[in-house]
Amino acid sequence: MSNRPTVGIVGADGASSGDTHTLPAVFSSPIRPDIVQTVHSGMAKNKRQPYAVSEKAGEQTSAESWGTGRAVARIPRVSGGGTHRAGQAAFGNMCRAGRMFAPTKVWRKWHQKVNQNQKRFAVASAIAASSVPALLLARGHRIATVPEVPLVVASSAVKGLVKTQAAVTLLKSVGAGPDVVKAQKSRKLRAGKGKLRGRRYKLRRGPLVVYSPETDGKELVRAFRNIPGVETSPVTALNLLQLAPGGHLGRFIIWTSDAFKALDDIYGSTTEASSYKKDFLLPTNVVSNADITRLINSSEIQSVLKEPKGYATTKRTGVQKKNPLKNRQVLLRLNPYAAQYSKDKVGQTGVEHKKPEPLGEDFKKVLHEN
Amino acid sequence: MSQPTNVSDDLLWQVVRSNNAYLIKRKTGGGAYFSRDPFNLLNKHSRTHAGFVNSKAVSVQPSGEKGVSFSTKKEGKSNTPAKSLNTHKFKSGRSNQKVYKAISDNVGQKSYRSDLNLYAIQRASAVLDSQRAKADAPEKKTRGAKARKTQA
Repeated sequence: MSNRPTVGIVGADGASSGDTHTLPAVFSSPIRPDIVQTVHSGMAKNKRQPYAVSEKAGEQTSAESWGTGRAVARIPRVSGGGTHRAGQAAFGNMCRAGRMFAPTKVWRKWHQKVNQNQKRFAVASAIAASSVPALLLARGHRIATVPEVPLVVASSAVKGLVKTQAAVTLLKSVGAGPDVVKAQKSRKLRAGKGKLRGRRYKLRRGPLVVYSPETDGKELVRAFRNIPGVETSPVTALNLLQLAPGGHLGRFIIWTSDAFKALDDIYGSTTEASSYKKDFLLPTNVVSNADITRLINSSEIQSVLKEPKGYATTKRTGVQKKNPLKNRQVLLRLNPYAAQYSKDKVGQTGVEHKKPEPLGEDFKKVLHEN
Repeated sequence: MSQPTNVSDDLLWQVVRSNNAYLIKRKTGGGAYFSRDPFNLLNKHSRTHAGFVNSKAVSVQPSGEKGVSFSTKKEGKSNTPAKSLNTHKFKSGRSNQKVYKAISDNVGQKSYRSDLNLYAIQRASAVLDSQRAKADAPEKKTRGAKARKTQA
């Protein structure tokens, strides 16, 4: 694309700094929720810890079946006497204190390999989606006060940002305040056992701050890390789990200007390979114009379309045959002269009956000529 | 920044129609789908009424105790959310008819979204109606034997 739109760079006070930068080519990648979802569900599995029930659970008695003839089910029964346990059924998944059905094993397939090209495609797609305000709204981000999407903040504003207080002020001034507040207020006690396992609360995701680690430094990570919902990520290591949480496109991203400028270098374009990723070209769009309404209404399409059905001139098939002698409209269709015929009252005028003219003298002469 | 060519309203609707932050799905009531989108005049989950997807949409909301606020989306300004809306607040003293006329002039007549004209007026009417002080129910008249007893 030769004529790429530009994005304004916002200063520390939230007003435009006057600088602009052309939109990196990644933002023109196709928006593919299907790919993002499958890649996300694969990647999300790769942090799982194995779990299983004990190998021995439910199998720790020396039970044996009593066989037939004792008028009880043939399930293994605990041997011996002297306790209530003796004679009770054991082992089966239907038994009290029995083993579970198909006991879980630690050697379950926990992790899933995701093809690297698919991962790169998904990341490119998620980045492109982060520049569409409708998708940010659909994810639930509060962006009403944001000056521009994608939001690019001048790197000078984040340079030397070490205090969380200053980070909060910056977020507020660039219009990300409502989204942070939303995340803050969304903290709820987690349902289930996770509460006891170090995951006590659930929280909405706020903005993701993407920085360039070489030029912006890493101090800002500390400044932002205690703000609920706000996450940081270096532009060189963007992660789909952060770009599309839950597999849903449209994360609200705050780019530092250096990170934004680095995107063209990192992702390359559809024709030029990226300098960071080996053999990677950005995915191309299958259709160059995604606006279906505009395509349908274009003169190119309209000119080759057949006329809609139901017009006066449309040929109607499979209709009842009408009698043209009784139905005047049908008659007119078959015989265009019928209109003039009746207008001139040709049918009403009788044949004129006159006395035949006497035959002339010449006629008689010729007749009797010999 | 104008919208890049890889996105369109039609595509966005396909992406968000199955799930979005505004969508309310309930199994009760025949599994109705509703929307909490402020730019959805009927709160109905549909392509026509999904205001956050459409580049042109109308919002009618109560403003304060009395009065309505009316906003439309500026076309081609969606990438600058802070400046993407035209908003007007109708003062509480204004007659309802004039509010409807003003809304109609902006939605229908100028054919901003003439298909939404009726819904915008209906919503404004419903909002204004909800803000009206409710008249007290008339006292119940006693009838029959009880009435005769109290009369005597």
